[in-house]
Amino acid sequence: MIPIRTTLDNSTTVQYAGLLHQLTMKAKSTVRDIDPQNDLTFLRIRSKKHEIMVAPDKEYLLIVIQNPCE
Amino acid sequence: MEAQGATVTSQRWTGALGRAVAMAMPLSPWSLRRAGSAGAPALAAGRAGGVKGPGRPAPLLDETLGVVSVPSQWRGVQGIRGETKSCQTASIATAEASAQAQTHADAQIQTETPEPVAVVPVSQHDNPRLVAFLQRVEAMVTRELNKNWQSHAFDGFVVNWTEPQQTVSCLHTLGYPPAQGQGLHVTSISWNATGSVLACAYGRLDDGDWSTLKSYVCTWNLDRRGLNPRQPSVVVEVPSAVMCLAFHPAQPSHIAGGLYSGEVLVWDVSRPEDPLLWRTGLTDDTHTDPVYQVLWLPEPRHSHHFQVLSVATDGKVLLWQGVGAGQLQLSKGFALVVQQLPRSTKVKKPPRGETEVGVTAVAFSSFDPNLFVLGTEGGFPLKCSLAAEVLALTRMPSSVSLRAPVQFTFSPHGGPVYSVSCSPFHRNLFLSAGTDGHVHLYSMLQAQPLTSLQLSQKYLFAVRWSPVRPLVFAAASGEGEVQLFDLQKNSQKPTVSIAQTQDGSPVYCLEFNSQQTQLLAAGDAKGTVKVWQLSTAFTEQGPRETEDLDQLAVEGAT
Repeated sequence: MIPIRTTLDNSTTVQYAGLLHQLTMKAKSTVRDIDPQNDLTFLRIRSKKHEIMVAPDKEYLLIVIQNPCE
Repeated sequence: MEAQGATVTSQRWTGALGRAVAMAMPLSPWSLRRAGSAGAPALAAGRAGGVKGPGRPAPLLDETLGVVSVPSQWRGVQGIRGETKSCQTASIATAEASAQAQTHADAQIQTETPEPVAVVPVSQHDNPRLVAFLQRVEAMVTRELNKNWQSHAFDGFVVNWTEPQQTVSCLHTLGYPPAQGQGLHVTSISWNATGSVLACAYGRLDDGDWSTLKSYVCTWNLDRRGLNPRQPSVVVEVPSAVMCLAFHPAQPSHIAGGLYSGEVLVWDVSRPEDPLLWRTGLTDDTHTDPVYQVLWLPEPRHSHHFQVLSVATDGKVLLWQGVGAGQLQLSKGFALVVQQLPRSTKVKKPPRGETEVGVTAVAFSSFDPNLFVLGTEGGFPLKCSLAAEVLALTRMPSSVSLRAPVQFTFSPHGGPVYSVSCSPFHRNLFLSAGTDGHVHLYSMLQAQPLTSLQLSQKYLFAVRWSPVRPLVFAAASGEGEVQLFDLQKNSQKPTVSIAQTQDGSPVYCLEFNSQQTQLLAAGDAKGTVKVWQLSTAFTEQGPRETEDLDQLAVEGAT
């Protein structure tokens, strides 16, 4: 997955893109395995520091990282 | 105002500056000269009643009052004379020294080199499909973002991945019996680059005179099985007392030490038969006083090579480079002279004849590689820069011209500062600990400390920020305690106070392990080094710590 446009620095972007692409593929195959008629629409990962949201598509991936208010 | 016949009327104006001016308007023109002069007491004697007009009744008579004017005591405006004494922001001089780009030549490759991934600019990409995709997902993503910042679903939800450790426990108690038998103190400890080897230096910190005491540098490998706490893995005998130690940040076996005699040595502890790698020798360049702290600094151009920085009470900060056959050569030097200190705060006049400022501690900022903070014998921390160009007014002989690095003087402690530490999470904060038992939290931007904490009735020998939690620091006190402060929980008392020595002999040094973040080592006056395992509370970052740290920097502790 090649990053097209980003608001972070290059190295972080490349790291996020690579890792999240693999995770999205895994999540998609998990959903399809459970129910072949189903498909992945949205992926959210919540961590101690922030929340990562991934909107997947056939060709593109939109990754948003949000700092939720405590 | 109407003059009816011969009525005399007077009016009074009170000027803005308090001058009362009286002007009477008589019929006769020549009395005008008397009234109306500024500042002069004027009594316009108005004639009450006035001259009666011919046969006309005057029911309303203007009453003339005696006029009093107050002489003005207001002096002229004195312009504010200002002159700039010193400016904290120095003009930034930049010069291109050299480019860092290296040329690569692949000798042999075992695996396929991965294609470097670069960010492709938008214009080169297929726009319509990208726009269509973004339009499809935009609504969903913004909906989720909005729901998120309003949601309370995860409030107070905390996951524990590891077994939490509730208390601080002592993992190892290390000592070297021959050194302890001689009554030597542990003067300095250091963790190596991999975090598995702990080195300690034996010497004495309370000798006021030149000592010919032999001392030792011992290292223990804590990850090795069969660790014998009484038998270090490597022992190096040193002819003079070692005051400070620092492991090389990249080479796990190189260690630099500063001696009481002013020399700086570098050992390679992987060679037990002849560990001495480099030494400064006793030349004109070396320090003439005990070296209080040594540090490794990356070279400005080759970031893989490091130089050794040493500070001593003779007022010199020297940068050494290892050349040739075991000789450390001076590559850069700085000298601190009282006359060249910026007068940001009042400093005590030194006794006659002494112009050097003795340096007892040094810490580099993790954000700006040229910026460092010095702790001095006079008790005031100093902000300095490696890039200073001004020559120092010193008569000390030196092969490299010494420069004056000080840019700013902070407000002093009540006694010498033995330890300074720059925060690894905030570019402006640093801590300093002195013999007055206080720890001051300073911001680089102002001379007064943000907050001052009294930790001990005796001296404080070391203070260090935690490498993982932005609001935690540890201090070693002369009462034999290691005190851990968590500024998030309580900013007045220590969160945990560990008694290292049973009889109250002082703890001289402490270091956090940056690789295994739950370990804290501390060395004391009985010659023992204890490795403490911290509770999970001190190793896991809380949710809003960086923001709390920023707030602390701005307003001081609550």
